[in-house]
Amino acid sequence: MNPIYASRRRKNVIIRALCYFAAAFGLSFLGLILFTLFWNGLAGLGLSVFTQMTPPPGSNTGGLANAIAGSLVITIIGVALGAPLGMLAGTYLAEYGRHEKLTTVIRFINDILLSAPSIVIGLFVYVTIVLPMGGFSGFAGSLALAVIVIPVVVRTTEDMLLLVPNPLREAAAALGMPRSLVIKRVAYRAARAGLITGVLLATARVAGETAPLLFTALNNQFWNLNMTGTVANLPVTINNFVQSPYDFWRQLAWTGALIITLSVLTLNVIARVLGRERNTQ
Amino acid sequence: MTMISVSTDNFQPVATDSPVKVDIRNLDFFYGDFRALKNINLGLAQNRVTAFIGPSGCGKSTLLRVLNRMYDLYPGQRAAGDVLLDGRNILDPREDINLLRARVGMVFQKPTPFPMTIYDNISFGIKLYEKLPKSELDGRVEAALKGAALWKEVKDKLGASGLSLSGGQQQRLCIARTVAIRPEVILFDEPCSALDPISTAKIEELIDELKNQYTIAIVTHNMQQAARVSDFTAFMYLGDLIEFGETSRMFTSPEKRETQDYITGRFG
Repeated sequence: MNPIYASRRRKNVIIRALCYFAAAFGLSFLGLILFTLFWNGLAGLGLSVFTQMTPPPGSNTGGLANAIAGSLVITIIGVALGAPLGMLAGTYLAEYGRHEKLTTVIRFINDILLSAPSIVIGLFVYVTIVLPMGGFSGFAGSLALAVIVIPVVVRTTEDMLLLVPNPLREAAAALGMPRSLVIKRVAYRAARAGLITGVLLATARVAGETAPLLFTALNNQFWNLNMTGTVANLPVTINNFVQSPYDFWRQLAWTGALIITLSVLTLNVIARVLGRERNTQ
Repeated sequence: MTMISVSTDNFQPVATDSPVKVDIRNLDFFYGDFRALKNINLGLAQNRVTAFIGPSGCGKSTLLRVLNRMYDLYPGQRAAGDVLLDGRNILDPREDINLLRARVGMVFQKPTPFPMTIYDNISFGIKLYEKLPKSELDGRVEAALKGAALWKEVKDKLGASGLSLSGGQQQRLCIARTVAIRPEVILFDEPCSALDPISTAKIEELIDELKNQYTIAIVTHNMQQAARVSDFTAFMYLGDLIEFGETSRMFTSPEKRETQDYITGRFG
């Protein structure tokens, strides 16, 4: 065999082995995490988790019903506040402001916001909302999550709209369509799957956030969906229960962690499937 | 007899019985500081096909995109001079661009069906300008698809996605969409360069029929195509209009050396 070709083949084998190893190394941690979650969480998973309130200290009966409901409401309101704003901003970046200098500045700031530690965002909402309003509230929690949702959705919206081929916009404009209609009826429609995927991924991102809720929604031992008061939620409940001396609480914390992980996993799978539909269209 | 005026001295004016629909006068075009069109003077005859030919970068597509002010979408691009559509200057900043584009339709190089049903692809454009009862709208969609020689192939699947059609069908869908809003001028920007020979032949036949109702300008890289479909040909090179005249004469006895070199394949 030609020695130059032989050495190239050897290198290829080595590099490929390294790639496989790196992938397996990374995946093994994901596997370990999932395994531990299922191992510890599954034991406590029963109907009572979804029907009973979080237990008071010392009690050996109870579930996570209030925390699950609270988490759902806080997350949904957070996404409902953040996603439209993010989509509008992303639309500006990709459509109206594509050639503006301002766009570069906004994109840069958005990237900083995207990587801001979530505890900083929790503190920000604590100072700007919780303190002036005179107390923790579910609404403040939703706001904190919304602040995290915005940059994620801005980014995905911009990226997805930039993937829409420009000739499509020109073709729409060539029919005499005003800019707003070109965006609404053609660009959004062409990017629809990607836009939905972005919102789903943002939802998955905030569903498990703990730090921003610690200073805002706090937690609540009882059933309360009144957003002006403290609202129970899964992440903070897990955080509290895991540090407790009671075995039953720690068991509930594992179960809660499993529920969050499975929800996030489901959202991600849906997002993937939708994304694939776009590619095969 | 009306004359198609070509005001630069070294051109022979072209005699025709058709009035001038679009009159381009002293047109310059700039991408930023780059001057892509240099003092173009040219008339598009009504109900005739005018082809713009020339090597890549000669400005033929740029010229086409001035005629419906497509360049307006991009900052840094600007035109200077006059383009008169029925005597009215469309480069006037007060001109309503959307209404202009309703009068001057455009078909692009790659088929660009909208991500919606075949029916909606056509009706969408109509609904921008007219509020019609469903039955009448159906009639307009059918007429447009027939006008683009696509009706027979899609009449049983109007609800299917426009993206499900073949490339040639998609391009005819785009022509139908353009025809549906009843423009006066149709611009074709290399409409066949992404199509196979059979689809190309269909589009060329279509262009030949469309000129009965519309004034047509076509940019093409394919000189045989220009020879087949056009009545007039403009040869451009590096932003200059080198020669303009009746296609039959341009392809048999061009006056300019550059034109002859290009159409005989010696460069470009």
